[in-house]
Amino acid sequence: MIKVRSLHKTFGKTEVLKGIDADIAKGEVVVVIGPSGSGKSTFLRCLNLLETPTSGTIEFEGRPITGRGVDIDAVRQNMGMVFQQFHLFPHKTVLENITIAPVRVRNTPREEATRTAMELLRRVGLGDKRDAYPIRLSGGQKQRVAIARALAMRPHVMLFDEPTSALDPEMVGEVLDVMKSLARDGMTMVIVTHEMGFAREVGDRLLFVDNGQIVEQGAPREVFEAPQHPRTREFLSKVL
Amino acid sequence: MKKWWMIVILAACVTVFGHPHAGAQQGAKLDHIRKSGKITVGTSAEYAPYEFHKKINGKDQIVGFDINIAKEIAKDLGVELVIRDMEFGNLLTELKTGGVDFVIAGMTPDEERRKSVDFSNIYYEAKQAVFVRADDQGKFKTMKDLEGKTLGVQIGTTQETIAKAVPNAKIRALGRTTELVLELKSKKVDALIVELPVAQGYVRNNPDLALSAIQPQSEAGGSAVAVNKGETSLLSAIQTTLDRLTAEGKIDQWVAEMTELAESPDTGTGQAARPAYNWNFTFLKEYGSYFWTGIRLTLEVSAVAVIGGFIFGTLISLLRLSSLWLVQFIGSAYVEIIRGTPMLVQLLLFYYGLPLFAGLDIGLFGAACLTLIVNSSAYIAEIMRAGIQGVDRGQMEAARSLGMPRGMALRLIILPQAFKTVLPALGNEFVVVVKESSILSVIGFGEIIYQANAIRAATYQPLEPLLVAAAIYFVLTFTLSKLLGLGERRLRVSD
Repeated sequence: MIKVRSLHKTFGKTEVLKGIDADIAKGEVVVVIGPSGSGKSTFLRCLNLLETPTSGTIEFEGRPITGRGVDIDAVRQNMGMVFQQFHLFPHKTVLENITIAPVRVRNTPREEATRTAMELLRRVGLGDKRDAYPIRLSGGQKQRVAIARALAMRPHVMLFDEPTSALDPEMVGEVLDVMKSLARDGMTMVIVTHEMGFAREVGDRLLFVDNGQIVEQGAPREVFEAPQHPRTREFLSKVL
Repeated sequence: MKKWWMIVILAACVTVFGHPHAGAQQGAKLDHIRKSGKITVGTSAEYAPYEFHKKINGKDQIVGFDINIAKEIAKDLGVELVIRDMEFGNLLTELKTGGVDFVIAGMTPDEERRKSVDFSNIYYEAKQAVFVRADDQGKFKTMKDLEGKTLGVQIGTTQETIAKAVPNAKIRALGRTTELVLELKSKKVDALIVELPVAQGYVRNNPDLALSAIQPQSEAGGSAVAVNKGETSLLSAIQTTLDRLTAEGKIDQWVAEMTELAESPDTGTGQAARPAYNWNFTFLKEYGSYFWTGIRLTLEVSAVAVIGGFIFGTLISLLRLSSLWLVQFIGSAYVEIIRGTPMLVQLLLFYYGLPLFAGLDIGLFGAACLTLIVNSSAYIAEIMRAGIQGVDRGQMEAARSLGMPRGMALRLIILPQAFKTVLPALGNEFVVVVKESSILSVIGFGEIIYQANAIRAATYQPLEPLLVAAAIYFVLTFTLSKLLGLGERRLRVSD
């Protein structure tokens, strides 16, 4: 579904990604872990071109999305993204946050968009918050709305950029539960996270990124139990 | 015997009281003037360009072409001139009681006055002239040619009365002749009615203007110098001076000069002796409707300006935030140039410059709106830029990640949030626009200050109409900021 070849990204003089190759299959849940500043978030943000790669290619569903002449807005409609800081639209109600993109971008009739939004809200357990403004929600509630907002576009893949890092500990669970249920339903997901337990439980594959490169990858249980690379061992010994 | 004495006494009475200064005193006045070395003139200095007060180098002076004539009379007699300024109605009484030696005050020698004083020949007759663009000279031959045209006149003058009597004519009444001439050149008016010497002055200095053959008649008669009854030797001395000045063409020259002086601002700021000021607001009864018109026009032009300025200013702010160097430069240049030049200049350029240089006449209301829009858009652009930059970067990323194009994301997500944060600043700008619209009075746009000036000209009350105008501005702006505060609170529900 997503094919990344020798992806490089440089900010000024700092080379953050030093040639990444990765393939993500349909229905696969890929978890990306690594120390802070390793480039894992940048890698994720390159996938939907929030960061423009310095060099390298990315293909999405068989078509290259890097390079000229690509309708990036059309590509992004099929890639949902969830941010660490939620980024809900503060001037819109919960319902409007979820319906605005389907209505404005996909030209979905408002009624249908509202119906879908309510289904999604119930699914993330917030059916009663449709008319609240984001300011009235807790962090966990905000992140669940953000997930619903991304899902409303019916994306083919969901990108999660440290979705629980900004949450109070007691709210992490409710967000992870929503993500687990998504994974069970077969959604293709790429998740940058520090939640190792979640990674082991939900991930089909684990990528360990360090210093701008994928150092090691494999089934989460194998990597956690028998890390091959010394840097993976060092990292895991600190976080587990 | 008794009867004879009666006749002598009666005759003496008639001689003394019937002709108090006549006969025996013939020539005595002139001798007295020469002996004392000074001559006193009575005048009423509130009738420019004849005689009027003017602050020159900070000193209040009485000037005017009548005053110049009086000085020449004194000079020819070889004496010093003393000026006594008084109410017009008291002049002849002072003359008869000897308080002044002669009167020169743009006075018309009518029958009533001739009964009590003697007059010189008429030294100046206010002749009105119509002048037009040189190309149009052939089109204006009689008063009839003025019908249905736009006529420029000075506010509150004889000429305005004349123009008002022309059927179907549109009247542009402005404070200064210089502005009227600009209006004529830029084809906003078709013809100007002014006093002949003034018209001649302008035509001499502007080859593109010409006098028309039209000679409007006005009510005002000619002016003459008055002396006491029977002062023939003094009168003939005065007449000699008047004849000399007329022959030299001095009087017409002075009329033009003094008209210009009367229109020019006072020079210097020295404090003159301050008479007690009697406040009087009774004009409101008669002229209140002027202010209503002014309020309506001020609000109309301000509303258009704020809406236009907001839209235009937001576009400029987006230019400034562009990633393209050239686009960014254009936006910045616009903001810096507009903020760095006086609005008065911008106004005059749009109003007079566009028709002259671009052949584009957008009219009075158009120029007024355009000036305010352009001016406030530069300030609003800066306000909006700050507002947009103040919105979290993540908002744009979130919108784009949902597949929104940049323009849509700006419109639906970024600008509404930016707008909310800058609303207080925008409200300030609105208040500023309402107040600054007063500058539009310069081109004769009928907003509040223009109306106040019209009332000042009509009532000769220099301050009260301005105070009323200031009060109106305050009420408008205060109400406005309260309303904006209300709007802000309503927008704050999502915080």
